[in-house]
Amino acid sequence: MEIGLGEYIGLSCILFGIGTVGFLIRRNILVQLMSIELMLNAVNVALVSFNRWHPGTLGDFDHSGQVFAFFVIAVAAAEAAVGLAIVLSLFRLKKSVASDLVDQLRY
Amino acid sequence: MELGFDASRSLLWIVLLPLAGAVINGIFGRFAERRLVSAVALGSVAGAFLLALFAFSRLVLARVGGEEGARIAYTAYEWFSLTLPANPAAGQSSVAIPIHIRFVMDSLSGVMTLVITGIGLLIHLYSVGYMSEDKGLARFFAYLNLFMASMLILVLASNVPLMFVGWEGVGLCSYLLIGFWFDTPAYAAAGRKAFVVNRIGDFGVLLGMFVLAGFVAVQFSGSSPTTVAAFEFEVINQAASRMHTALPFTVFGIGGSVATVAGLFLFLGCTGKSAQLPLYVWLPDAMAGPTPVSALIHAATMVTAGVYLCCRLSPVFLQSSTVLATIAIVGSLTALMAATIAVVQTDMKKILAYSTVSQLGFMFAAVGVGAFGAAIFHVFTHAFFKACLFLGAGSVMHSVGAHGDADVRKLGGLKHYMPTTRWTFLLSCLAIAGVPLTSGFFSKDAILHGALTMTLVPGGGLLVGGLVFALLAVAATLTAFYMFRLYFLTFEGSYRSAEAESEAHHSDHHHDGEAHAYDPHPHESPMTMTIPLMVLGVGAVVVGYLNLDPLVHLVTHDLHLNYWEHWLDPAVANLSAASLPGVDHEPTWFGYLAAGVGTLAMITGVYTSYRFYIIGGGAPAEKIASLVPRLHRFLFEKWRVDEFYGFVIVRPMKELAKVAGSMDLTFVDGVLTKLSSSSVRLLGWLSVRIQSGAIYVYGAFMALGIVFLTWWFLQPHPQLLVTSQQRSARFEVSPGAGYEYRWDINSDGVYETGWNNDKLAVEYEFGAKDPFHHVLVLSHQTVQPGRAGRGRSVSVMRQDLEHGGSFVLPASVLPTGWQRRDDSGEVLDGPTPAFEIDGSGVLRVLPNSAQLRVNGRPVTEKTMLDPGSTLTVGSLVIQVAMRISATVEVRNVYGKTSSARADADLVLRRPFQIPRQPTVSKLTLPESAKGSELQ
Repeated sequence: MEIGLGEYIGLSCILFGIGTVGFLIRRNILVQLMSIELMLNAVNVALVSFNRWHPGTLGDFDHSGQVFAFFVIAVAAAEAAVGLAIVLSLFRLKKSVASDLVDQLRY
Repeated sequence: MELGFDASRSLLWIVLLPLAGAVINGIFGRFAERRLVSAVALGSVAGAFLLALFAFSRLVLARVGGEEGARIAYTAYEWFSLTLPANPAAGQSSVAIPIHIRFVMDSLSGVMTLVITGIGLLIHLYSVGYMSEDKGLARFFAYLNLFMASMLILVLASNVPLMFVGWEGVGLCSYLLIGFWFDTPAYAAAGRKAFVVNRIGDFGVLLGMFVLAGFVAVQFSGSSPTTVAAFEFEVINQAASRMHTALPFTVFGIGGSVATVAGLFLFLGCTGKSAQLPLYVWLPDAMAGPTPVSALIHAATMVTAGVYLCCRLSPVFLQSSTVLATIAIVGSLTALMAATIAVVQTDMKKILAYSTVSQLGFMFAAVGVGAFGAAIFHVFTHAFFKACLFLGAGSVMHSVGAHGDADVRKLGGLKHYMPTTRWTFLLSCLAIAGVPLTSGFFSKDAILHGALTMTLVPGGGLLVGGLVFALLAVAATLTAFYMFRLYFLTFEGSYRSAEAESEAHHSDHHHDGEAHAYDPHPHESPMTMTIPLMVLGVGAVVVGYLNLDPLVHLVTHDLHLNYWEHWLDPAVANLSAASLPGVDHEPTWFGYLAAGVGTLAMITGVYTSYRFYIIGGGAPAEKIASLVPRLHRFLFEKWRVDEFYGFVIVRPMKELAKVAGSMDLTFVDGVLTKLSSSSVRLLGWLSVRIQSGAIYVYGAFMALGIVFLTWWFLQPHPQLLVTSQQRSARFEVSPGAGYEYRWDINSDGVYETGWNNDKLAVEYEFGAKDPFHHVLVLSHQTVQPGRAGRGRSVSVMRQDLEHGGSFVLPASVLPTGWQRRDDSGEVLDGPTPAFEIDGSGVLRVLPNSAQLRVNGRPVTEKTMLDPGSTLTVGSLVIQVAMRISATVEVRNVYGKTSSARADADLVLRRPFQIPRQPTVSKLTLPESAKGSELQ
């Protein structure tokens, strides 16, 4: 069986779906952060595969999708740093990392 | 002659130098050393004075060279421009009215500029000494320089709006300087009062200015668009001879000739700025400001702005005898009234303030009798002696340590302590009293002479002139009396401060703070203060020699030594006896009478004063006061004018303000603001309930959004828009990225076009064989009374007949009062008109006894209807329209397709015959129609 673009996109969708469901059903903020990472990486897979099968105007030298993936990785790293810092201070406040306990900013 | 410096450019710097001084001192003065502040202030004014001298000397040279209308003009730039719109009814085209920043120095403004800069310089010098202890020195000099700049703009401006800038500027500086010591509430209130009262007058100036400029612009307008500098004094004065024409409208009920209306409004402005009845009340209170301010602004320069304005526009004022008479009588009444008040006042500056009001009255009396030259002459001489008097009073106050004002009852004998002040004060008193050979004598004589000339004017001139002469003679007597009363009480006798203090200690009703004794050891003021006094004192005597006519004419009438009038001639129009009809020249005894009465008034006043205060030691005055205590009190309380205004104007205004304030508190704040704020709060409270604060809920909504967006981008969304007219319709599909379209134009399931991506719209022209539905368009026709034909149609409903095949009009859409009658006229109950379609697609209507009209013809039987027919039942209109529809199918890049269908109802104006085979078929009736009889 030839592994083509469809398979990669399918993998990406599955990863994204797992991330989405994980984010929605889990109450542990750490797990939710990991789910977000999973979604971002699903996007990375999609970006890289599209770059492979549908390169831009530069042909074989066109790596814009991969460069985008790098950007996503960088942003994800920053997000994780900030997110973990927030989780840390939240834990000091609540002695817990359950996201449904956190609704102070509601009103 | 090439100095590298143009005389005309010096005009600009005359204004700019004091302005620069004001800016520098205003911004940096508070950080600078006091000597530097003084130097900047003094230097800028001195520079302006030197430049004024330079420009003025050029003017004199030109005049000596025989150039009669010599003037120096400097145009900086066009400030703004107005447009008088075209008036096609009068055949006038539009007029552009440019307004320039333009300064002109002619003989009139030249004299004023010299007075302002010269006396201003002396008073700046004086202030260096007088204000040496004050912590607000920089602020003071900034205001004073700003005043100089404004006043110079006022007199040098070549057009009314620019003059108005100066006019407002001096008003502002006056306000700032009256309230200079604003931490004393009474002084701040005096400043406010001056500002508000002046505002009333400024309103008049604006209205007068617009009347004049509007008239001039209309005068010069023609059939093609023109440009007229209608605000220029020169242009206005040129058009003055035509200003006796009646104004075609009234301004606040004031009508009459252009000159009358404009003159009255301008004079209203003058009564405010120049402290005439009824707006003089601010000037006595203005003495709250530092004394140099009183001398410069409220005696020598600013308050004469009104006189200057009248003289600047003298040709206009000469056109209206009403205005002249008003000015003359108001002026002379002010002169007399203020003099009566000054007679009994006890504060030095108060006496001088009322004296100023009175002398300004003299000037306006001169304006009113048409002696504009004399008015400016009095402005000129008065500037010297009144400035000297105020500065002398300031010197006295400085010397004895009086703050605000000095009570003459506590002074006396100061001639031993301050000889320079005493001598200059005495010289000025002689001048203002009108002692022959002093300046006041000449200018006052010129005014009295003018009043006598007025008596020669036919039609009321005798009355006005005589009244003015009499009033001024009395006022002049009182002037001599109160001025020498002031002099004697201040400088003669013995120093009474110590006595006053011991009395104050013994008496029970001394008011605190005011009762403190003055410095027991008065001393002469420093040089910076006495030098201006000496210059002004000498000036008070000699400046009158510019017009020696009154003295010369006592001896001979062949010699004229009137340099003043000759100098002003090109700029100021005067009422002269020679120009009057039926008068060759005025009687020679006018000269003797004016000089004689003036001298007599002076002698009477001065002698009475001497009797009362030197020989009698003040006892005769007290005796008279105790004889008529109520009159004395009335005069002492200044005719209670302030109380009157307070009762009539200020109190109602305050009450109104209270009402308005409570309205604001209860209605605006209480209802409008609270209502809107609480409704917003309620909305906020409601919308905040939606927020759960739980992250997973937000996440779920986000996921839902992603699902929706995914669907949205995968599925095409065509929208079909229809516009139709008569037999044609246009269908247009909304564009989308990557969309392809194909059309089924008549919605018969067969696509007429293939896939393409550029055909976004199709035109549909109805053809006879095209499929369509019958549609009934029901609307109510409203008949508007008094109008022929159809009125507005109100759409009620549309009924598609394809599906039902038949339709019975519901009774609810039928017009009220609609009735069906049989042949005998009986009202029928039962089914309403019904529509049906047979198998071959023919539409028929069954009236069911209704009074039905098809295309205007009444029908009673089943009738065939073509598309485009019109049925009426009473006011109900039913149009048979054709409904056609088009379908478009859209395909996006993923190959997904979606179609949209739109209908167009073609409402035809005329029935459209559709060719068909005649078929006879059995009709099927709707249930509700079964009961009625059919053939």
